[in-house]
Amino acid sequence: MLRNRSKGAIVILVAIAAMLALPSAQSLPGGISGVQQSGCNCHGAVPSASVVASIDGLPESYNYSEQYELTVSFQGGPSQEGNVNQGGFHLWASEGTLSVSDATAQLYNENEVGHTDAGNDQVSWTVTWTAPATDRNVDFVLHVNSVNGNADGAGGGTSGDMWSKVTVSLGGPIEVLEAADPFVVLGVLIIVSASLLAITLAYVFYRKDPDAFDWDNFAPWLADWLTSTDHKKIGTLYFVAGLFFLGVGGIMAMIIRIQLAVPGNDFLTQEQYNQFFTLHGTTMIFLAAMPMINGFANWMIPLQLGAADLALPRINAMSFWLQPFAALLIFTGVFSGHGADTGWTGYAPYVVSEGAHYGTTMWAAGQIMLVASSTLTGINFLTTMAVMRAPGMGWMQMPLFSWSILIANVMLFLSIPAFGVGLIQVYLDRVVGTAFYDIAAGGDPLLWSHLFWYFGHPEVYVVIVPSFGIISEVIATSSRRSVFGYRSMVYALAGIGIVAFIVYGHHMFTSGMSPTLRFVTMLTTMLVAVPTGIKIFNWLMTMHGGSLVYRTHTLWALGFLVTFTLGGISGMFFPSIAMDTHLHESYFVVAHFHYVLVGGTVFGFFSGIYYWWPKATGKMLSEKLGVLHFLTAFVSYNALFWPMHRLGVWGMTRRHHTYFVTTEEALGSLPMEAAGWNMFITVSGFLFFFSNFILVFNMIASSIRGEDAPDDPWGGWSFEWMTTSPPPAHTLYKLDDGTWGLPTLKDANEHIANEPGWLSSWFQRLLVSDDETEEASH
Amino acid sequence: MSGDHHPSAWGPHDWRHGAPHNSWSPFILSLGVAIFLFTLAGAFKFGEFQGWGKVPLVFVGLGVIGFSLLVWWRQDISFGVNGEVFEPKSAGTPFQNIDIRKVALWMFLMSEMMVFTSLFSTYMRYRFGIPNCQTVFESGEWVEGTSVICFEPAGHLIASSWFHIAPGAINTFALIISSFTIVQALRYAKKKDIDEDVRRRKVTRYLGATWFLAILFLTLKMIEWFLGFPLPEFLHEFNHGDSSIKSLYAEGYLINADSYQHHAYDTHYIEAHPNDYSIPEDSALYAMMQAGTHPGGHMMADIQVSATTFYVTTGTHGAHVFGGIIGLSYMTLKAAKGGYTPDNAVSIEYFGLYWHFVDLVWVLVFPFFYLY
Amino acid sequence: MAHYKILGQDPYWMNFYGLMILTLIEVLAVGADLVPLAESLGTEEKTVTLWILTIIAIPKFIMIAAIFMHLYGDEDSAILTMTALFPAFFILIMVLFVGLTHPDAPSSLPDWCRPGNYGL
Repeated sequence: MLRNRSKGAIVILVAIAAMLALPSAQSLPGGISGVQQSGCNCHGAVPSASVVASIDGLPESYNYSEQYELTVSFQGGPSQEGNVNQGGFHLWASEGTLSVSDATAQLYNENEVGHTDAGNDQVSWTVTWTAPATDRNVDFVLHVNSVNGNADGAGGGTSGDMWSKVTVSLGGPIEVLEAADPFVVLGVLIIVSASLLAITLAYVFYRKDPDAFDWDNFAPWLADWLTSTDHKKIGTLYFVAGLFFLGVGGIMAMIIRIQLAVPGNDFLTQEQYNQFFTLHGTTMIFLAAMPMINGFANWMIPLQLGAADLALPRINAMSFWLQPFAALLIFTGVFSGHGADTGWTGYAPYVVSEGAHYGTTMWAAGQIMLVASSTLTGINFLTTMAVMRAPGMGWMQMPLFSWSILIANVMLFLSIPAFGVGLIQVYLDRVVGTAFYDIAAGGDPLLWSHLFWYFGHPEVYVVIVPSFGIISEVIATSSRRSVFGYRSMVYALAGIGIVAFIVYGHHMFTSGMSPTLRFVTMLTTMLVAVPTGIKIFNWLMTMHGGSLVYRTHTLWALGFLVTFTLGGISGMFFPSIAMDTHLHESYFVVAHFHYVLVGGTVFGFFSGIYYWWPKATGKMLSEKLGVLHFLTAFVSYNALFWPMHRLGVWGMTRRHHTYFVTTEEALGSLPMEAAGWNMFITVSGFLFFFSNFILVFNMIASSIRGEDAPDDPWGGWSFEWMTTSPPPAHTLYKLDDGTWGLPTLKDANEHIANEPGWLSSWFQRLLVSDDETEEASH
Repeated sequence: MSGDHHPSAWGPHDWRHGAPHNSWSPFILSLGVAIFLFTLAGAFKFGEFQGWGKVPLVFVGLGVIGFSLLVWWRQDISFGVNGEVFEPKSAGTPFQNIDIRKVALWMFLMSEMMVFTSLFSTYMRYRFGIPNCQTVFESGEWVEGTSVICFEPAGHLIASSWFHIAPGAINTFALIISSFTIVQALRYAKKKDIDEDVRRRKVTRYLGATWFLAILFLTLKMIEWFLGFPLPEFLHEFNHGDSSIKSLYAEGYLINADSYQHHAYDTHYIEAHPNDYSIPEDSALYAMMQAGTHPGGHMMADIQVSATTFYVTTGTHGAHVFGGIIGLSYMTLKAAKGGYTPDNAVSIEYFGLYWHFVDLVWVLVFPFFYLY
Repeated sequence: MAHYKILGQDPYWMNFYGLMILTLIEVLAVGADLVPLAESLGTEEKTVTLWILTIIAIPKFIMIAAIFMHLYGDEDSAILTMTALFPAFFILIMVLFVGLTHPDAPSSLPDWCRPGNYGL
């Protein structure tokens, strides 16, 4: 039975290899793809080596815009003097322009010439070719037909004819390397990364037990991973997927930075560039950040709450598996070269227009699946945190990471249906032909903006709030004291969660939305910075009142404090509508959100990785490599994104594939220094991208030969540190009396006074008391 | 391979505490959804059908989804049958002592509220933002032969006569009755002092009745949308002599209707049938026609947005009914096998909550989309 | 299951009858000629119909939620009602910001219902 499975796998691999090896046809501007392969079909189909074609008159390398007289001719074959018809030709030139000088040849278009009726009884013809004005690689393809002249014979006179072809290439004065197709680059890198991932996974399996490395053991191991509903396995799956797409998104960013390294670059056309920044945004937010948050949450929430698993384990598995398939849908566009080019914000009406690439439909479809995934996640975590806390753990005794996941999930599952509905509207518009965003029928593009940003703004808080949680945990443990002002931290999180819904208009200040709403949003956006500021001061106070131990996770938390604060401050320029009108769509926005998203979210993730890796895997990460990672990444990151503020103020526009610099103060051009800064940013970008491989290497090295981790390497005191590293499949905690079981929170007085306030008292009256359950009353 | 320690991820679940919960259905369901969305986009592009050759692939996607549901059900059908039920209750405030799955369902309903709010907001935005076709007609700012954009609410067609409202009204009654039958099913499933066989029959019948009413709902909806229905002879005179009630589709109320015409907006028809329609004397159109500055005629309207919001909102509700039918199919089957006992009757309650929510949405959809 | 009675009868049956009656009134309201009533109130028939529909929809909604969905009379009703009402704020925001801010929304809506159109 297993041999059948092996056979099946081999068949699939062979099929894939065969599909990849299929030759593809080349189509020409004139649309005559057959000519290149099989000669001119009007004269039979026999290529022959006895016919020799040649092009005379071409130089070794052309001079710009010079005219050359070419003689195309052939020898051999059945053509003879005295035949009614002797031969024909078709010449194609990839660059430059062709022209004819007599009636024996005709011009199909500036790249193709062929013979005429009047010219089909000779064996050589002259045509003129004008070289291009720039450096190009030029290909000439000449097809010739040697005709035996039997006009009355079979096939309308085509039987017995033979054809042949010759290809000549030349370049201009300066040799030109063939331009890389950015999609080929991206596709290759993605395939390489995925292959490396697969190899790494196989290697991890091998290392578990080298003697058992065969298909018999691999299939059940793989099936277990594909079907597991255990929160730990699902957490790992999310995490690995998220890291992989973080890398893919980074590759896209690097390609964008290559394009922007010099002004006027043409590595990416605007059309290609649109697809790259769209996919970079979508990948990073939905396929990298959200899964990694879910990875941390899946692993740590049940552990921190003292629960055995999440409330709905199979639904949890469903949440995960929707993601890789959604990614497949989103990336079909990339591999076809027609990816979504609408921006990750997908503004209407372009997103439903026929002008947008048809990858946009799949982009919408994939995101619909992600909406479903997020909704299920939200339900699961909310339920778990509401109902499965350990005995004695009230709401105000939950760890701050758990609170952050709770608030994030509340925001997520209440706001994402708006996005889902919008996406379904877009999908239906593009597929079935509904008229939600059809301008000519009265559709309103602002509807999409409202629906998208109603979700979009809470979404960006969804991605940052878990990092807040991680930082709270890390700073508390590193400072060896609990976080200062626990209650205000919780209220700040809750405040962020609620206010997030009424500020979304600040993404639409320049869209022509309602003026009253604009004004209201300006005020609420200024307001929303307050809870975050409270949190930052609380963290600072925690460190001040504690005694900081410097580990890698501590360094990343400190780095977070710096970069997130900077990002938050740069964000405070946007609530003012007047400032926003100037800064909207400029690199200032790019700088701001990368400071909060990378400097905030991703740095929080890094901190969490270094903090919780020992717990999850049972191995320690190397501190030396960690510090090296931090130093290189932190420095290169700031070098990468800080100058973008300056570029934004100068007026460099985002989403434009290139920019121009000038010494004059012309509108639309940047000062000369902008070119230098862009190159600096690109170089820093590459440094940042590669510095993160130190982390990957650290993770692999730790898995192979890392030192074993104790239960509690850092001296943390939340529940996850009471179990083993890694925790057993059914989590058991080491209790005070030495036994293993599920914990209770005995000393609930740690954080706040236990007297219920008026809110708690009122709430108590809503609850179902223990002696009044249905069971008891029946 | 599947023994005591490795219960199959395909087959009946091992309900013992501590047994692994592996399942193939999440993986396969996600695959099916991806295939379905991908192939559906291949079968239609911007409303143009791409040929029947693409349709089988869509069914492949639906088939994969169906298969994953079968796996899911196969794993679950033994739940509670042998009396061993693990229905955990919440431990902490504020939901203490409430079934965890009930809490989870209410969370789900919260997100569903947001889904329908988004759809209603879209409808509101367009309904109040685009001028009503009746208003446009009466303002006289139209020319015969040129389409004007205006909002034609479906209620204009549906609420025009008792016969037209009939399917919608019957549907409302059907949903209310089905809400009641599902409660009855729960009641009998929970009843402790009745015979096993009696319970099995009652629960199956009530669940089956709910299932049937849901099917009736969708059937009537299809009649309303696409098929129309004929009238018996004696009712023809009440229907302006017409022998059938036309469906919305037949009336031209379509998502691609950019040149929609209705006899209520035809001045010639109005003149010929003064008992049915009239142009208000205080309207601009009346004044213009009296003054001779407007030639009258049959107004053409672009009602794509109106039709879109109607079909998609009521269609989303219909899709939720369809989801309920899928759930009910499983539950009726399980009930027929005697699978519902007082121990696990709460499962019916959870479905009931979803079903009542669907009814709630209909309570809002019916007046505001069909009657107004 | 509900442990109370409505008018001395089983609450689910009574709820069912009540809902059917309300639906009947709804349908009748649409079919009836309300023009004289509308004129006596100084509005259009459409507005009167809309008010009647809204006024009937609200009790229907409450009856289904409270009785069929056990949000009244069960020991867990209180907290589950709070849960069900939690999204009210978010729903209000969406309706206000998305549903009622169309730039062309005509003046048929009262001013207090149109956050975007205060003549700015």
